[in-house]
Amino acid sequence: MPTSAAFRLLGADATGSRERALALSADDTIALIEGSELRGRGGAGFPLGAKMRATRTAAEVSGDPAYVVANAYDADPASPLSRTLLERSPELVLGGIVIAARAVGAREAWLYLHPEATAARSAAEKAIAAVARHDDGVSVEIALGPGGFMGGEESALLAVLENKRAMARQRPPWPAEQGVRLRPTLVSSAETLAALPLIVRDGPDSFSGSGGSRGTKLVSVTGAVAEPGVYEVSLGTTLGEVVQTAGGVTHALKAIHVGGPTCGILNSTRTGVRYDYEDLKAAGTYMGSGQVRAIAEGTCIVAEAARLFEYLSKETCAICVPCRVGTKRVRGILESISSGLGREDDLKWLGELADHLSDFSLCGFGITSASIVRTTIAEFPDDYRAHIVERRCPEGTCAPSRSRRYETMAQP
Amino acid sequence: MSILERYVQSTESQIPTVSHHGEIPSGMPTCSIEIDGQEVTAAIGESILRAAQRAGFDVPTLCDDEKLAPAAACRMCLVEIEGYDRPMPSCHLPVTPGMKIKATGDGLFAKRRQNLEYILSDHNAYCMPPCQIGCPTHIDIPGFLELEAKGQHLEAARLLKETLPFPYALGLVCPAPCQEVCRRGLVEEEIAIRQCHGYFGELSLEMDKAPTPFPQAAATGKRVAVIGAGPSGMTCAYYSSLKGHQVTVFDMMPKQGGMLRYGIPEYRLPKVKLDKELNCVWQLGAEFKGGMMLGRDFSIDDLFAQGYDAVFLGIGAWRSNELRIPGEDLPGVIEAINYLNQNARGDPVPVGKGSKVVVIGGGFTTFDCSRTSRRLGADVTVVYRRSRKEMGAHYSEVDDAEHEGIRLEFFAAPVKIVEKDGRVGGVEFQRMALGEPDASGRRRPVPIEGSNFVIECDTVIPAIGQVPDLDWYGASPGLRKTRRETIVANGALMTDRPGVFAGGDCQMGAVTVIQSVAQGKLAAKAIDRYLSGADMAEVAAEITEEESVPELIDIVPYKPEEPQVRMPFLPFDQRVQSFQLIESGYAKQQAEKEAGRCLQCVCPDVGRCHLQRLSLEHGLTENRFHRAEPVDYHDYEYDFSHDFILRDLNKCINCTQCVRICRDVIGANCYGLMGVGYDSIVTTPWNVSLQYTDCVSCGACAETCPTGALMMRERDLETWELDITRCIYCGDCVEVCPHAALGETPNFELSVYQRFGTTVLAKEELAVARTWKPSEHIPLDGEDRRGVRPPEVRPPAPPRWGE
Repeated sequence: MPTSAAFRLLGADATGSRERALALSADDTIALIEGSELRGRGGAGFPLGAKMRATRTAAEVSGDPAYVVANAYDADPASPLSRTLLERSPELVLGGIVIAARAVGAREAWLYLHPEATAARSAAEKAIAAVARHDDGVSVEIALGPGGFMGGEESALLAVLENKRAMARQRPPWPAEQGVRLRPTLVSSAETLAALPLIVRDGPDSFSGSGGSRGTKLVSVTGAVAEPGVYEVSLGTTLGEVVQTAGGVTHALKAIHVGGPTCGILNSTRTGVRYDYEDLKAAGTYMGSGQVRAIAEGTCIVAEAARLFEYLSKETCAICVPCRVGTKRVRGILESISSGLGREDDLKWLGELADHLSDFSLCGFGITSASIVRTTIAEFPDDYRAHIVERRCPEGTCAPSRSRRYETMAQP
Repeated sequence: MSILERYVQSTESQIPTVSHHGEIPSGMPTCSIEIDGQEVTAAIGESILRAAQRAGFDVPTLCDDEKLAPAAACRMCLVEIEGYDRPMPSCHLPVTPGMKIKATGDGLFAKRRQNLEYILSDHNAYCMPPCQIGCPTHIDIPGFLELEAKGQHLEAARLLKETLPFPYALGLVCPAPCQEVCRRGLVEEEIAIRQCHGYFGELSLEMDKAPTPFPQAAATGKRVAVIGAGPSGMTCAYYSSLKGHQVTVFDMMPKQGGMLRYGIPEYRLPKVKLDKELNCVWQLGAEFKGGMMLGRDFSIDDLFAQGYDAVFLGIGAWRSNELRIPGEDLPGVIEAINYLNQNARGDPVPVGKGSKVVVIGGGFTTFDCSRTSRRLGADVTVVYRRSRKEMGAHYSEVDDAEHEGIRLEFFAAPVKIVEKDGRVGGVEFQRMALGEPDASGRRRPVPIEGSNFVIECDTVIPAIGQVPDLDWYGASPGLRKTRRETIVANGALMTDRPGVFAGGDCQMGAVTVIQSVAQGKLAAKAIDRYLSGADMAEVAAEITEEESVPELIDIVPYKPEEPQVRMPFLPFDQRVQSFQLIESGYAKQQAEKEAGRCLQCVCPDVGRCHLQRLSLEHGLTENRFHRAEPVDYHDYEYDFSHDFILRDLNKCINCTQCVRICRDVIGANCYGLMGVGYDSIVTTPWNVSLQYTDCVSCGACAETCPTGALMMRERDLETWELDITRCIYCGDCVEVCPHAALGETPNFELSVYQRFGTTVLAKEELAVARTWKPSEHIPLDGEDRRGVRPPEVRPPAPPRWGE
């Protein structure tokens, strides 16, 4: 594992960062963050400095007040990164919120939490009380999401803050220009903001790593590993090493599911892929929710993909057609294949539907979910072939879940 | 942000775009963009979609309304824009100078089509009835089935008789092209439409006077001669009589019915009941002259000389085609039509117990002959030169024949009739194989050399089609005939001689009964127009237009499965040697239950529905998502409880236009999304009846709905007068009326000012007081704090008082 002794989030001490931050002007703060090349930890990896500058500029141009939203929602239930962070170092998150708010010129900020994250909430409340005591010109409020996967999506979260159903909204315009109540809003994950106090105190160079991506990332290692849990790894660590961090696999490894429910599944030969934004994208998946799941031998990948789409078709916000109907139809086809009703041309069809999902969906939910179809077909062709051609489950685990499949029945 | 500010919803949560109908107003800053290589001038700030639409580009959309903030929900308007790595919704992105846009293209088309396929796979409603389109006479099938299911039998019979005067006879003999295309077949099994209308026919038989679709018109004084009392002639006589014309029906046979009586055997259609049914024509005052044959007893000129104003030729096709092979003139070769005719009249026929009969052909006549012979005790073989699939007869009849013990021999064509002792001893056949499709689309049989074989028999019945008997033709100037020995008629069924119309078998060649009925119906319409002096070219064009087949899109229907109600049949072993009717007909409960299975493939929004239009434009004639598990589809209850708005969630495509218009423009906020994931649906809070929401019955949601999910109930608009003595000046009516129908009346404006009591205006002040638009909230303290308001429904009405 590459050394990252210089920078750790979990358990870090933020002492002195507030004083240092108060001494900096807004422009200097943003320049500092741009210098650190800190990228968003929510999965998309947008540079935070640029986002802050855009928010600040939009607020200055429009004259509207700006807002800051720290997204600590943890949409993926198996990846409680922000909760862990808030429970262990709430002052880092709150410190980051205050620094960001001062830098973009916001006087109000929200800490956006999952309604079930009670421990994180009480930890955050204490930290907010401390912020209120200091009175640095920023008031932080806790906002609770609605539950469910889509509640954590960047733009759906804006809708929730406007007391609406958690539904995605088309971007551009980005929240930096038109966010909550159409005002400039900095939306960033709690984990990203938590890095700010340390960067401000220790300088951008303390935040070092490898390649284009820098710093550390919290990951939730789950599945067939000895000690599942939340770990902090340097960006650029290989997937094999990430799995090793959690005590290594308990069974022979068949696949690694990187990024949570909307992201792709890689096969066991891909342990050398580095855990980084660009490398994961090149491998066909995304950083997503920060989950790394080890899938043991004996798991049918077709059933796994079907199970993921079953989850997605229940969690889609239903604003756009490709996502609402598409996830359902892809699920139906995958279930048909796993039930022994597959046909040769189903794979081509799935490919078409995946292209449609990624090209025509409104938000990242639909766009990234296409990667499940693409990676499983590309990385596990044998599983599909066994189901479709040989009419058997490669692992012997699939029980038929449906007796009928989609049929073309032309109208007279 | 204060608590109040936080909990009062902002109305615009999307980028506001500028929208203008038609031209860009002068003075608007404009810029130039490029769409599909064409330079387009657009107003800065308006959406790309609006600019493209103004420039004449057809960018499809299902969720865009000029009055509303864009939702980008339907994903139909996506275009490729230079600088973006994926297609972006044009309804949502504002124009920026120099933009390069690709609005059309194969890739976009295919993806938009995929989008529509998705929508249609969860659009549990059925657009247009394929049964009604497939029926030659276009019976309103969903209509009568709905009435039938509700138990309104008389109404159903009336509706049927609008297009089909003889539902009982057709209920027994129709090949039911409607059932072949029935959409219920995509769920499990088609509706037994034919049996259902047969049930009404039978009901009507029991009445003293058969129901008529509409009251008979007053006598016109015109006289119509109908030649031929078969299905087309009788239909023409029926509808002509209803129009008030004096009709006389001539027939060469002594009794009415034509082929229905003399061609179709008793076991398919009992003649006693046929007579009862045909009586409905005589009940309307038409007159029957039997035993009168055209060409023998009278000519067309005679009819005009006798004062008839129009003549309809429905003489049928009574001459059997010849085999044109050696030995055809041997004793024992029987003409099919003549044979059925003799049997129907009760005359002795040359087939009996122990006869060995070969019937050649594959049409309805073939099976009438073979099944009749079987009932007379003969041993019957049917020989056809193509396969079972290509047979002209309905497949049920082929199956029945086989079950009754008739042998079927396919891929064999007769070569010659073998002589034995001076009469028929057998038929020599040659094996055939199927070659290329011919003009009729059926594959042409090709003989296989050296494959000849003989079937021994004593009787041969060639039944390979009939042609009209046009012996009288030479004496009728002004008529033309085709090479197929049929009479030439135009789109209005009028022959070259004005006033002479022709329909049915004699005009089309041998066709089915229902096609003849359809022609009789059209002819009656054309004759009526002719007698009223219409331009017949126009009538012909009109009829052609009406008869053109509309395109259908493939929608995936979903209903819980429910098998067809089976018609009780005479057992096969009782059929041989008995001419007893096979189908005994539905009982009341059975008919109602079967009618209740109808999917009601009708949508009042057809023709206005944007989903239908786009689906046709994108060629959605098939859908790949049929017939999976029930969890893949939705079947919602509809809500027709509201007085003015009909809601059918099955047709909703989640475009959220109603949500936005009701919230942002009307202010009633009646709709929202309910449910999670795929099962999300736009509906009222807690899915209650719209009646129990804050609905103000404005109809804006129905107006903006791109499909038929929300529709206005038909209503008579009336002008209501205000009873000023009873008005308590509450102003509620003014405030809720979204169309400003009340706000424009001075008395109501007075009530607005009275209501809040802070400003009691004098009369002269009232005259110049501003009119509050209904979408504005009237400030309690009189201060105008409107700020940014939603776009207006309509421009404010100018004050009209004080004139």
